[in-house]
Amino acid sequence: MAKHVLSCTVNGEPVEVLVQPYVNLLDALREDMGLTGPKEGCGTGDCGACTVHVDGKVVASCLMLAMQARGRKVRTIEGLAGAGTLHPLQDAFVRHGVPQCGFCIPGVLMAAAALLEENPRPSEEEIRYGIAGNLCRCTGYTTMVAAISEAAGTLASQRSAR
Amino acid sequence: MSTMKTTRDVKGVGVSIPRPDGPEKVTGRVQYVADIQPKGLLHAKLLRSPHAHAKIVSIDTSAAKALPGVRAVLTAKDIPHLKKKAPTRAHAVLAIDRVVFMGQPVAAVAADEPSIAEEALDLIKVEYQVLAASIDPLKAMLPGAPPVADAGTEADTSEALAHSAVAIAKSEAPAKAVNISQQARLTRGDPAKGFAESDHILEKTYRVPMVHQGYLEPHAVLAEWDRNGLLTLWASTQGSFNTRSEVADVLGIPENQIRVIPVECGGGFGGKIRALCEPITAVLAQVTKRPVRYVMTRREELQAGMPAPQVIIKLKTGVKRDGTLMALDAETVIDSGAFSGAVLAVSAVFLGSMYKWPSFDVRGFEVLTHKPSVAAYRAPVAPQTIFAIESQMEQIARDLDLDSVEFRMRHLIQEGDPMVNGQPWQNNGAKQVLSRIADHPHWKTRKQWVTAGKNGKRRGVGLALGGWLGGLQPTGATVRLNPDGSLAVLTGQVDIAGTNISLAQIAASAYGVDTDLVRITTGDTDTAPMTGLSAGSKTIYTVGAAVLQAAEDARRQTFEIAAAELEASIHDLELVDGKVTVRGMPDKGITLATIGKKGNLYMSKTPPVLGKANPAFTQQAPGFAAQLARLEVDADTGEVTILDFVIVQDVGKAINPMGVEGQMQGGAVQSLGMALTEGLLFDDSGRLTNPSLLDYRKLTAADLPNLETIIVEVPAPAGPFGARGVGEPPIIPAPAAIANAIQNATGARLTELPMNPERIALALVNGKH
Repeated sequence: MAKHVLSCTVNGEPVEVLVQPYVNLLDALREDMGLTGPKEGCGTGDCGACTVHVDGKVVASCLMLAMQARGRKVRTIEGLAGAGTLHPLQDAFVRHGVPQCGFCIPGVLMAAAALLEENPRPSEEEIRYGIAGNLCRCTGYTTMVAAISEAAGTLASQRSAR
Repeated sequence: MSTMKTTRDVKGVGVSIPRPDGPEKVTGRVQYVADIQPKGLLHAKLLRSPHAHAKIVSIDTSAAKALPGVRAVLTAKDIPHLKKKAPTRAHAVLAIDRVVFMGQPVAAVAADEPSIAEEALDLIKVEYQVLAASIDPLKAMLPGAPPVADAGTEADTSEALAHSAVAIAKSEAPAKAVNISQQARLTRGDPAKGFAESDHILEKTYRVPMVHQGYLEPHAVLAEWDRNGLLTLWASTQGSFNTRSEVADVLGIPENQIRVIPVECGGGFGGKIRALCEPITAVLAQVTKRPVRYVMTRREELQAGMPAPQVIIKLKTGVKRDGTLMALDAETVIDSGAFSGAVLAVSAVFLGSMYKWPSFDVRGFEVLTHKPSVAAYRAPVAPQTIFAIESQMEQIARDLDLDSVEFRMRHLIQEGDPMVNGQPWQNNGAKQVLSRIADHPHWKTRKQWVTAGKNGKRRGVGLALGGWLGGLQPTGATVRLNPDGSLAVLTGQVDIAGTNISLAQIAASAYGVDTDLVRITTGDTDTAPMTGLSAGSKTIYTVGAAVLQAAEDARRQTFEIAAAELEASIHDLELVDGKVTVRGMPDKGITLATIGKKGNLYMSKTPPVLGKANPAFTQQAPGFAAQLARLEVDADTGEVTILDFVIVQDVGKAINPMGVEGQMQGGAVQSLGMALTEGLLFDDSGRLTNPSLLDYRKLTAADLPNLETIIVEVPAPAGPFGARGVGEPPIIPAPAAIANAIQNATGARLTELPMNPERIALALVNGKH
């Protein structure tokens, strides 16, 4: 099958790659763009490890064809913070000792980032529903919820300081 | 935006320190096997059996081999050293003439692209002659059942040895029933007399289905051979030395021809101890002379991974009206799937060892069926066994109107009491954790809380206790002093949950420096001291002890050098702020950096400091946890909502409380899933009916409340700083605690997991509760 040109923006940079028309966005990111932060935990949209943002919305990148991202803005865990820095969510995850095996973490962080962009001060219940599409087998979610809640506060105080 | 550098206070053992690789994990930079992209990489796929039991009549691979981009297509015929009577799943690399479970690999392909490998699988033609299958373990036990293993296959008890070091007499004569692969029997006293003298006899059968460990990263391995015939495996494993031994044994090559590099492991929980896809991937790499990577799909994981066994436990208990224990009759049947290897001994020992039964007859059977073979899952078969025991104890207390905590406490073992196998219980905190949870306000106020429900749902509070004996394995560690005065610790310990930071804390405290000055590395099988599995709740207990001893050795060497340099007695020296000084004379000293530099100078006469330890162990340190649930049951739908969950655990000494709490919370949620939603469901033909994470439902954040953790510290006599194993105890009590809470809420005693809405609603209708 002939490959197609995929032009889109990934983590703020314009990208042009050749992809097979049947390839999903996750594989295009991982295999063709070298962005291995998003993970494949199931390939059927049930675990959330492949979560990325497309035009600011949470997407299971294993369920979207790469070509559907043409002309759109894709953001992966690699683009959550600037080089050499941590996003307040990432910083809170580190300090709360959230990551154990770490495989789910990139997806959880992207889901949490999208939640906080939509709802800057979520309740505990809203946080729990905001990451309900992301399975984690190590943590039991308690530290995750605490870290997301704290990061929401950090982001809010950063906004009010500006 | 904050910067990458985290600031923290000077710390050693006993304080919460975030793991140093946290920033790598939260930025997606950590590399798992599937993230490694060597040049010339080929992708492997396996053709799997669509039948639970069938004879392979013929396999035609010609069309697959002709597909452009296909580099190898292998069947058992292409691997001459494959033998029948494979003792383990790993040895059954590809099916030879018979498939024994649905999903068993029959052929393997390596191709330039995963999609080409997939296409090649479709082109392989296999003719099967379908045979009758043994699916239900109770039927599989009967004489005349369709046989699973080839006659003469040996039982595999290595898992039990690796995991629990439980001694148990192997039972009696070989079984007549063809599918009983292991059996054991333990007796004491006269149970018949005990039952005859009992006022209350309770018989219940408890059932737990196969459940999957559920690690988020599917099994994955990358294999490459060099021109000298050295095989390198980049593996997602819980123990690189174990993987090396197993692969060497399966492939029939010496271990020194294999190097296993343990790549970041995306969760194991016991499922990544035994080799699974490593041997076939190595063979594909050998044949193609290219690096070959195999990553299992989630569907393959669920259909043909190595789940926890199905367990059926029949209990008959006899007690006096005042709660005096008289007799226990227990039988556990463990469905091991198509290959032997379940930890039968753990279940048999725990059935009768937690409470002091004066007489008992405990029998255990490992049964083979035409289903995927099993492996360890975090405290293997303990949650299942404790579900039975702790449900039964609660029911007895309820029937006799006894306080359920007092009833347990009265009969609970303590140090020195004999287990059913005659071995004495080691020092443990069983009574302390039970007593601590009974003091919790949620327990003290349970009656008021239950009646205060207002939303029409039924409220219940339940608790349970569970324990784990703790594993042992010889292990090694080195501690090196660097020229800058920092320490380099090397072990082969695979760090999944964040154990390396705790090991660094142990080294820091034992040597006498800040944890910030300790860097710990997990080496591979060529570079690291021999190190055991990340399993059996033994990393801190055993590797921690090795690191402790190696750090003490390094400190002694450091002090010897300092004593010579300072012309002082070694006994007069102390180490403060990176400087060895003569006590009371702070000006007379030498810095660690100076000592480190002297060990690395051309023509220097000072030996470089290299502490080492390679201990073996004999004394286990049992770990106990007690858990309490407050929940609501919707009597119409059977839906359970957990409102509060409390975990109390004796950890001996919390080396890194943050890491300990993470273990307590994560373990509890895995078994809450076992309690409420999880189960691999096979139909009568041995087909898995829920092979996706949509249908095999694990708990999400939205299903759970915050989990309260309470750490109890009863020091383990031989543990580093008193620490005992932490990983496994928290997965053990939850199913029983939930069952007890559901009964408290509804009056219904659930005896089969998962306790999903259908089962609960049916129990309420049938029991008219």
